[in-house]
Amino acid sequence: MARTITFMQAINEAMAEEMRRDPSVFVLGEDVRVGAFGQTTGLVQEFGPERVLNTPICENALAGAAAGAALFGLRPVLELMFCDFAMLAMDELCNQIGQFRYVSGGNYPCPVTIRTATGAGFRMAYGHSQSLQSQLIQAPGLILAEPSTPADAKGLLKSAIRSNDPVIFFEHKKLLLGGVSGEAPDGDYTMPFGQAAIRKPGKDATVVAFGFMVYEALQAAEALAAEGIDVEVIDPRTIVPLDKATIFKSVEKTGRLVTVEEGRLRGGIGAEIAALACGEYFDLLDAPVQRVAAPMCPVPGSPVLEDLYLPNSKSIVGAVKRVFERG
Amino acid sequence: MALNDEILVGAYKKMLLVRALESKHKQLLAEGKIQLMGHFGRGQEAVSIGVSAPLRKEDILFGTHRGVGEYIGKGMDPKDIWCEYMGKRTGLSKGKGTLHLTDKSLNIPFVVSSLGADWSMAVGAGLAAKMKKTNQVVLYFVGEGTCNQADAGPSMNMAALWKLPIVFAICTNQFCEMSYMADHFPTADVAPRAAGYGIPFEIVDGNDIETAYEATAKGVEHARSGKGPYCVEYKTFRMELHFTGDPGGYVKQEDLDEWGKRDPIDLAQRKLFDRGVLTPEKDALLRTEIASQADAAIQAAFDAPFPTEEDLLTDVCEEKGVL
Repeated sequence: MARTITFMQAINEAMAEEMRRDPSVFVLGEDVRVGAFGQTTGLVQEFGPERVLNTPICENALAGAAAGAALFGLRPVLELMFCDFAMLAMDELCNQIGQFRYVSGGNYPCPVTIRTATGAGFRMAYGHSQSLQSQLIQAPGLILAEPSTPADAKGLLKSAIRSNDPVIFFEHKKLLLGGVSGEAPDGDYTMPFGQAAIRKPGKDATVVAFGFMVYEALQAAEALAAEGIDVEVIDPRTIVPLDKATIFKSVEKTGRLVTVEEGRLRGGIGAEIAALACGEYFDLLDAPVQRVAAPMCPVPGSPVLEDLYLPNSKSIVGAVKRVFERG
Repeated sequence: MALNDEILVGAYKKMLLVRALESKHKQLLAEGKIQLMGHFGRGQEAVSIGVSAPLRKEDILFGTHRGVGEYIGKGMDPKDIWCEYMGKRTGLSKGKGTLHLTDKSLNIPFVVSSLGADWSMAVGAGLAAKMKKTNQVVLYFVGEGTCNQADAGPSMNMAALWKLPIVFAICTNQFCEMSYMADHFPTADVAPRAAGYGIPFEIVDGNDIETAYEATAKGVEHARSGKGPYCVEYKTFRMELHFTGDPGGYVKQEDLDEWGKRDPIDLAQRKLFDRGVLTPEKDALLRTEIASQADAAIQAAFDAPFPTEEDLLTDVCEEKGVL
């Protein structure tokens, strides 16, 4: 059986269900008793203030506190309101949390989940709009999840909370606030990390898109179909681990690869996938890889400029056409 | 909790062991027999033992990078310390942590890499102890220099806000790395900052094992009884440079002379003689015994095997496919 839920509901239900299931799970973050965007709304009524902990405003210390609790038997779910603010916690995120297991010789795993909202489109300019996923791909020991559908959001978040590894969980604001809904299984379910979904099968080109960009890629696929180009849209669902097998099985069929992310171009996730393509799968390619990403400028506040800044279905169509210019 | 004869003797032995291990470390480096740099705590042994000895085995200790004091104080085996120091496979982190010592059986998480990254981890550990009602106390041991890290304030704030069982133990050894404390602090004392968060504090002589131990014990009792965090500042003097690569030249000789008159091990020895617990003859035997204990532990580490290539990529994640 399945039912229709919103992306927001998916996140909320995942936390509530895991809190019911396991008393060591608790939620903390700035204003979580109210719910800044609404993900944690209602949890305090069911679980009480001790398990839904409003915190002071101090992101790095919050990440460290969540990690410390995770080292000693709890499963904290920390909300860092905006991923821009997660940059205030970079010592804990990049230098510490992901490396505790290793530096302790496996003695101190750190089962913490850190949820953070990403993405632009709300005219909030430079510091509340970024997609900074690629800032974290260099840090060893972190799982990075970025769901695009309510079913995935719920299943992946439940997996994150149960995981013995630290997981950074990216929630796009347009998915949270745009009322995006979809079918999700009834009852308790989890979703494995590192398993991509083929959102639309196709034979001519492979488009790998993350998070909200999956919807832009699907729109692009529709437009391209009208021109006789049949693209396959792959949603990796987790950035680390990355489902290379599904991506490159598709490239084996299509010979053409386009990556799409809302984050910036330089050193982005697309750069990593393109490097994999060149280094490990070069023989599969009939054309150079194209990357769709944001330009290397701050996110502008003006509606006109922000719309120009953001990757969208049109820029994806353009990139797909470029991979047909050769070969 | 008063420092009775039995505890005093135990603390004295540990202080001797700490000094023996660190002296040997210094000697081995000078002889070019090991590579690992040292951050020694000679002169601070009464603090490192004074903060750790009052803890129960299950209590949680976040220690510092300076020497082995608090780790020996809480009960770590010198051989475990040295196997890890030398990057041996038999170390408690399998040689992956070296000076980031860890001992899960004693609730000692690893020494963190960025000074003060563990301020807030101590808060999380305290939160876990409180939420799980384990009756554990967290002792956060930190140098005064690290009290200027950005997380110090928010961590004391959260600890007080949530009434967590944490003792903030500040070792004021007069130096912040390669600077006198006065270059970093507008005040002579650090602990009064705790008062801003409503945390009770006291400032004690850190060279006297008795005052150091008793202040910690009081703080631990306060925290364990559910009254929230407590802060103790221990005044002492670092008789060594910041680390073995420190060029030096900034320490005033008059300070070394003055503080050298109050060496914590000499003070403890005098106390033991005064109490009639120890005689000079027994003391000499004890020192020989401890020196050979240190030598044996270090020799065992030299003899232990190194990790191999197979160990390089283990312990990163439980999840597959992340490498």
